[in-house]
Amino acid sequence: MTDLYFYAALFLLANMLVGLARALRGPTMPDRMLSGELMGTTAVAVLLLLSVATDTEALIDVALIFALLSVLAVVTFVRRTWPEPGPPRGRRWP
Amino acid sequence: MALVFDALLALAMLWLAWQGVHAQTLFQAVVSFMLFGLLIALAWVRLDATDIALAEAALGSGVTGALLFAALGQLPPEPIRARRRTRWHRRLLALAWGLVLLAPIALLLYGVLQLEGRGLGAEVNASLSQANIGSPVTAVLLNFRAIDTLLELVVMLSAVVVVWSLGATAPSPLPWLPAPSLPALTRLLFPVFLLTAGYLLWRGEHGPGGAFPAGAVLAAGFVLAILSGARAPAPDGHTGWRLLICLGPLAFAMVAGGVLLAGYVYFEYPPRVAGLLMIGIEIAAGISIGFMLTALFFAAERDHSSQV
Repeated sequence: MTDLYFYAALFLLANMLVGLARALRGPTMPDRMLSGELMGTTAVAVLLLLSVATDTEALIDVALIFALLSVLAVVTFVRRTWPEPGPPRGRRWP
Repeated sequence: MALVFDALLALAMLWLAWQGVHAQTLFQAVVSFMLFGLLIALAWVRLDATDIALAEAALGSGVTGALLFAALGQLPPEPIRARRRTRWHRRLLALAWGLVLLAPIALLLYGVLQLEGRGLGAEVNASLSQANIGSPVTAVLLNFRAIDTLLELVVMLSAVVVVWSLGATAPSPLPWLPAPSLPALTRLLFPVFLLTAGYLLWRGEHGPGGAFPAGAVLAAGFVLAILSGARAPAPDGHTGWRLLICLGPLAFAMVAGGVLLAGYVYFEYPPRVAGLLMIGIEIAAGISIGFMLTALFFAAERDHSSQV
């Protein structure tokens, strides 16, 4: 059973790396941001699985912090970074 | 199987680090940095260093990422850097410089390989009973090497002072998106942030946790509240802010000096109250770190009254 949890964590890590491609390629800012959020959410799942697989309760705390603070990045992005003055939003925008 | 997991993690970290340095725009670099922090936290977990993973998740990935996004919003829009062809002698110079930098890394590696045993863990665990606290990491941070932690707090305090002395930038000209659901979200989440910060402080007594992650979570809650339109007095020139920011270093220094009056050596806690003193310092430091990080976030902005 513990093995199964570990395989699941490995699968989710591979998933994160696929999402990473979107974060690095873009093309728009929200694309990158959303795939970053996807990685954050997946990391929560990976941590919870690892916590069961290795029987370490403290990992649940790390997952809790990830889950809480992922809100902060997205809210700061929307409130402070995104609607940049300059060219209109579109596909071409990096 | 664990090997595949670790190899994937390491490869992704290397790739992200490269992207963080060589991204075309600053925004891409910041996103890469944030995701790098996330993977680093996972790597610390794999290395059985849950305390550092906690701190990295809260500070390195969470609060620093948001801080960089806010700083990015203050910068003028940047042109996309064109990929230039590098001249051959510049490449040669870069190669030579890289080799020079490799030398100290090789020396460090040699030094690490020369180390005997597995660090100071056994010694710390042996003297844990003297510290009157359950968690070895907290014992090291607040008792055995307390002066290091005090100096870390002072470094943070100096950073806040320097940021304040830079003065305010022009108010951000961004036409903010209307975000009607944001205040509701914050009303829901803010108590959870406070609760988690308190939980981490309490947890630091006997397990991974402590003042730094707790302070980061507290700051995240404050930043979220202010970004959703909560009014806060400007951090600089406000006596309450100053007191809260100085609370941690002050409490620490007072304990360190106070024990002198009781006839102990500087920073030597009396064994009977050692646990109590450390908990007091931890709470003060946690509150102080929370307010310092919030102040760093908003020091550059005079006008916090954002319309939602």
